[in-house]
Amino acid sequence: MGLLMGEARNQLRWADGKTIKNEVDLQVLHLLGPKTEADLEKKPKVAKARLAPAEKQKVAVVENGDMGTETKSLLEQLRGEALKFHKPGENYKTEGYVVTPNTMALLKQHLAITGGQVRTRFPPEPNGILHIGHAKAINFNFGYAKANGGVCFLRYDDTNPEKEEEKYFTAIREMVEWLGYQPYAVTHASDYFDQLYTWALELIRRGQAYVCHQKVEEIKGHNPPPSPWRDRPVEESLLLFEDMRKGKFGEGEATLRMKLVMEDGKMDPVAYRVKFTPHHRTGDKWCIYPTYDYTHCLCDSIEHITHSLCTKEFQARRSSYFWLCNALDVYCPVQWEYGRLNLLYTVVSKRKIIRLVETGAVRDWDDPRLFTLTALRRRGFPPEAINNFCARVGVTVAQATMEPHLLEACAREVLNEQAPRAMAVLEPLKVTITNFPAPKALEVLVPNFPADETRGFHKVPFHQTIYIEETDFREEADKGYKRLAPGQPVGLRHTGYVITVQNVIKDVSGRVMELEVTCTKSDVAEKPKAFIHWVSVPLACEVRLYERLFLHKNPEDPSEVPGGFLSDLNPDSLRVVHNALVDSSVRSAQPFDKFQFERLGYFSVDPDSEEGKMVFNRTVTLKEDPGKA
Amino acid sequence: ILQLLTSCPLSRNYCVTTQFAFQENEIKLLTAEIERLKNFGCLGVSPSLEGLRDENAKLKYRLNFLKKSLQEERSKSMKSMININSCLQEIFGAAIQAAYPDLENPPLVVTPSQQPKFGDYQCNSAMGISQILLKTREQKVIPREIAEKIAKNIPANEYIEKVEIAGPGFINVHLRKDFVSKQLSSLLINGVQPPANGKRKKAVVDFSSPNIAKEMHVGHLRSTIIGESMCRLFEFAGYDVLRLNHLGDWGTQFGMLIAHLQDKFPDYLTVSPPIGDLQAFYKESKQRFDTEEEFKKRAYQCVVLLQSKNPDFIKAWNLICDVSRREFQKIYNCLDVTIIERGESFYHEMMKDIVKEFEDKGFVQVDDGRKVVFVPGFPVPLTIVKSDGGYTYDTSDLAALKHRLCEEKGDILIYVVDSGQSVHLQTIFAAGQMIGWYDPKVTRVAHAAFGVVLGEDKKKFKTRSGDTVRLIDLLEEGLKRAMDKLKDKERDKVLTPEELKAAQTSVAFGCIKYADLSHNRLNDYVFSFDKMLDDRGNTAAYLLYAFTRIRAIARLANIDEQMLRKAAREEVLVLDHEKEWKLGKCILRFPEILQKILEDLLLHTLCDYLYELATTFTEFYDSCYCVEKDRQTGQIVKVNMWRLLLCEATATVMAKGFDILGIKPVQRM
Repeated sequence: MGLLMGEARNQLRWADGKTIKNEVDLQVLHLLGPKTEADLEKKPKVAKARLAPAEKQKVAVVENGDMGTETKSLLEQLRGEALKFHKPGENYKTEGYVVTPNTMALLKQHLAITGGQVRTRFPPEPNGILHIGHAKAINFNFGYAKANGGVCFLRYDDTNPEKEEEKYFTAIREMVEWLGYQPYAVTHASDYFDQLYTWALELIRRGQAYVCHQKVEEIKGHNPPPSPWRDRPVEESLLLFEDMRKGKFGEGEATLRMKLVMEDGKMDPVAYRVKFTPHHRTGDKWCIYPTYDYTHCLCDSIEHITHSLCTKEFQARRSSYFWLCNALDVYCPVQWEYGRLNLLYTVVSKRKIIRLVETGAVRDWDDPRLFTLTALRRRGFPPEAINNFCARVGVTVAQATMEPHLLEACAREVLNEQAPRAMAVLEPLKVTITNFPAPKALEVLVPNFPADETRGFHKVPFHQTIYIEETDFREEADKGYKRLAPGQPVGLRHTGYVITVQNVIKDVSGRVMELEVTCTKSDVAEKPKAFIHWVSVPLACEVRLYERLFLHKNPEDPSEVPGGFLSDLNPDSLRVVHNALVDSSVRSAQPFDKFQFERLGYFSVDPDSEEGKMVFNRTVTLKEDPGKA
Repeated sequence: ILQLLTSCPLSRNYCVTTQFAFQENEIKLLTAEIERLKNFGCLGVSPSLEGLRDENAKLKYRLNFLKKSLQEERSKSMKSMININSCLQEIFGAAIQAAYPDLENPPLVVTPSQQPKFGDYQCNSAMGISQILLKTREQKVIPREIAEKIAKNIPANEYIEKVEIAGPGFINVHLRKDFVSKQLSSLLINGVQPPANGKRKKAVVDFSSPNIAKEMHVGHLRSTIIGESMCRLFEFAGYDVLRLNHLGDWGTQFGMLIAHLQDKFPDYLTVSPPIGDLQAFYKESKQRFDTEEEFKKRAYQCVVLLQSKNPDFIKAWNLICDVSRREFQKIYNCLDVTIIERGESFYHEMMKDIVKEFEDKGFVQVDDGRKVVFVPGFPVPLTIVKSDGGYTYDTSDLAALKHRLCEEKGDILIYVVDSGQSVHLQTIFAAGQMIGWYDPKVTRVAHAAFGVVLGEDKKKFKTRSGDTVRLIDLLEEGLKRAMDKLKDKERDKVLTPEELKAAQTSVAFGCIKYADLSHNRLNDYVFSFDKMLDDRGNTAAYLLYAFTRIRAIARLANIDEQMLRKAAREEVLVLDHEKEWKLGKCILRFPEILQKILEDLLLHTLCDYLYELATTFTEFYDSCYCVEKDRQTGQIVKVNMWRLLLCEATATVMAKGFDILGIKPVQRM
């Protein structure tokens, strides 16, 4: 519809927009009949216009599981021609790329500057924290460059002066590096404000942009009236644009608009608008700021980006991307779109996370229940797990909506290799061994990775007094219960001893307070039904156990959650165990160090840890909770 | 706690630790809560208040922006050089106004700093304000505190990088590098432009003004040189300048000259009399006037006939004047002086009306047959009509004043006349104000007085025989001395004959002018060829030499003017080296120097400045390579373009300075 309207507008420039729209609507109705339900679905529209046939097949929303066990490494997936991307300098071979009389000369120049190297960029807006969706963008951009011997820029898209804060800049860079990537250069869109301004003047001079005074409300929505200022003289626009720069117009009183029709029929996108807000980097130098539509492609051009990779929402802006570079006769990169990565059971939008923080539902941006990258790091997800996850999602153009358990599975895989064993007891029950064979504590050797003993051992003390999980003792053993009970001995992991209940000490209410047991060397004792973990001379610690933050798959979807995402919070998403005990092998661990606590799961040291009081986050349990699958 | 203790299955010690940790946590929460309450966290900001705050911030930002744009527009539209000092004064004026709004006329002192550690400029107003507060309000505030308050109120601007407070209360200003660099680029692109000036104004400069039939002497030299420079300065500053030669061409001496002429050359009406030496002619007639009674009588008749405009007598008068004019013009040509003749005779017809005007307004008293005018504040009255009915210098000067004010509509009138005439001129000016010809608040009438020229013996400048030194002889000697000097330095072996000649005149006349202009005009000055031709120290010879050297730098690097112009547009002038920075700032002080001279009419400030610029340049040149050459081959390895641009900017400003001083630099010397 948009395309048709755009075309009609171009041909009938002075006709009344409303009348045209009515007529086109009528004709389309004649031709196609009334809209069906399928037509009202949004997604297929995106794919309609410009995709090459090869790509078309891939366009589908991939749900979990479809991707199965495809574990080709990301680099493999990205290398070479797997993606059908153009070679540097051969931009013109891309379908839809617009070739002008200057294109070839510009490409030649471009090659001379880059030496034929692949150049990509990761361009986040520095007004929020990166989330799991960004991880894909980082992996795609940095990965594609790396796989093809190229370079990748980290460019902060800081054209909007309102929301930028230093902490976002540093956090973004930290996360990129955490994922294992080094930017070739760190740049800012604001670095190019002078150049962008000069080009805006040039654009006006070439008759391709004009100063407009339509109000924001007027040009919003469907079928807005065309600007009555579209054909004002160049000189006038130049003077007025200068006035905009000098602060003579209030916010919203004037904009600079480019003369083009976008794919969706939107006319004349805004290039510059007035904002009386200081900028994080340029201070009070400007009161006009360029828009995304104007800035993005030109920054790509300045940095000689070969492949401008972006998510599919930007497909509608592809033509304006090409148009602007060509209107200024500057090098024009190729924009390639890929599918967005969405995660179920969470929200990632900045505003929603702010709401969660404000209402106290989560503690901060890095609360381990969230899926921001800082939160994932805090929860203990290794960067490799996130990268593997992205690799499994794949680099197809398909939009992928994933369940968190897939990410968790990736984490288990990596942690199994990386996190050494330790023992911790969440709900301790004191056990005294009455026939302890030594006057002092013994030392027990525990393998760091039982599957591979070449990776070393650590020592833990084994004393007369030990603590086991309360749940590992029952006064009455029913059928199927294999652990400690009177008359049912149990093995202690790694000690080579089996203990037998001798005496159960209770308080007045009948609650079990302590056990007295005897021990027997396991080589002489009968083989016990089970082995349990234990701690002795332990460290006190706090353990935080996490569950999903939301109850429904799509907390933002009003049909699933009519009360809004804040009404969908899982009341049990966080359980804090204050008096847990952990063996002394973790004593010198630093924040983000990871362990497998035997039988309990993978845990990571939280930055809240203090001297004498360590805090652990449970990253994931050892096995997928069958209820989740 | 008791319950905890008893129920705790663990050791007592562990229990207590947990309990403490718990309490500590509680304390932390409470402290945070208190903090929150202190900051009105409990009130919650109403959305409308927040909206208003946002709007206020935006309005402030816009206001600031508009101010900046206005500043930019002001300076850009004229392409003019910015007078940094006066901009800083404006800024500090605003800061003081904001800090002490009810202080009337607070002192505003901004000067360039003498040492780099004190920044680039300093504002020293805090001390003065402290005094005022103490005197008028009996408030004791230490200047440092005042300085801090001023510094806090400095409005947003594009000049200042930072300020520091030093010593008792000096505010040291550090200029922004990018600003200085941008100004230098604009100087290179637009050339030396005068500071922005509102409406075009008119200046009338009365200078030189010798007497007909008398030789110009060294006394006229000062008026001619200073006057010419003054005119050039005002012209550069965008004034329309009327250069007036107030010739002494109308007096009783013409009676005897005409009578003598009639006797000696009876056919003077048809054949031009060959008066070679007017001075000798004057002496002869004077002798006859003093000795021959008959001649004297006839001389008086001649005066009457001349004043009644008898054509024959006018013709005779013109003949005599022409002889003088030819002589004067020779000197004006040498010194490159432009002036229009408007002698006393021009005002002759107006004097009657002047007298009437004074009489009508009741200012005239008759004293012993003379008509006199008393001017308040001056003990000696002006005589506007003598007892014999004739007019005086007072009358003609009043007429000239009125004409310049009312007919020429001068906004500023400058009389470049020796200090001896000071009382006379002040009385004339006061009379003009008294009668309402001008208001000193609107129109400026100034006597640019100067001292006498002394010989090297510190006595009045005379020839060895005791005669007054004829100006033309002096100039000729200057030429000869300059040539001797050039030959001494063996320049004749390097320069072509044309170049040598050009260097000779440039040096000779340049030195004579510069020697005069470089001294405070109010003082007497010692005329010494040896000193003025010395090529060390603050002399034209030194400056001319420095200038040709600067110009040669680019030439020797094979950089032509076009390349420099292109570079000026494209290159950023980096001022990272301390000496580059010093030189850059020095160059940009030109407008403030000119502004100062426009106010106090003391041209030696410009000479001092040019000398400082030349020495600052030398410092720069000694420590910063402009062109790097291979030591062995002498091949150019690298050209530091931004430094060449600094050379160019220095030369441009020097050239403009020379132009104002009336000195002509040469390509080679």
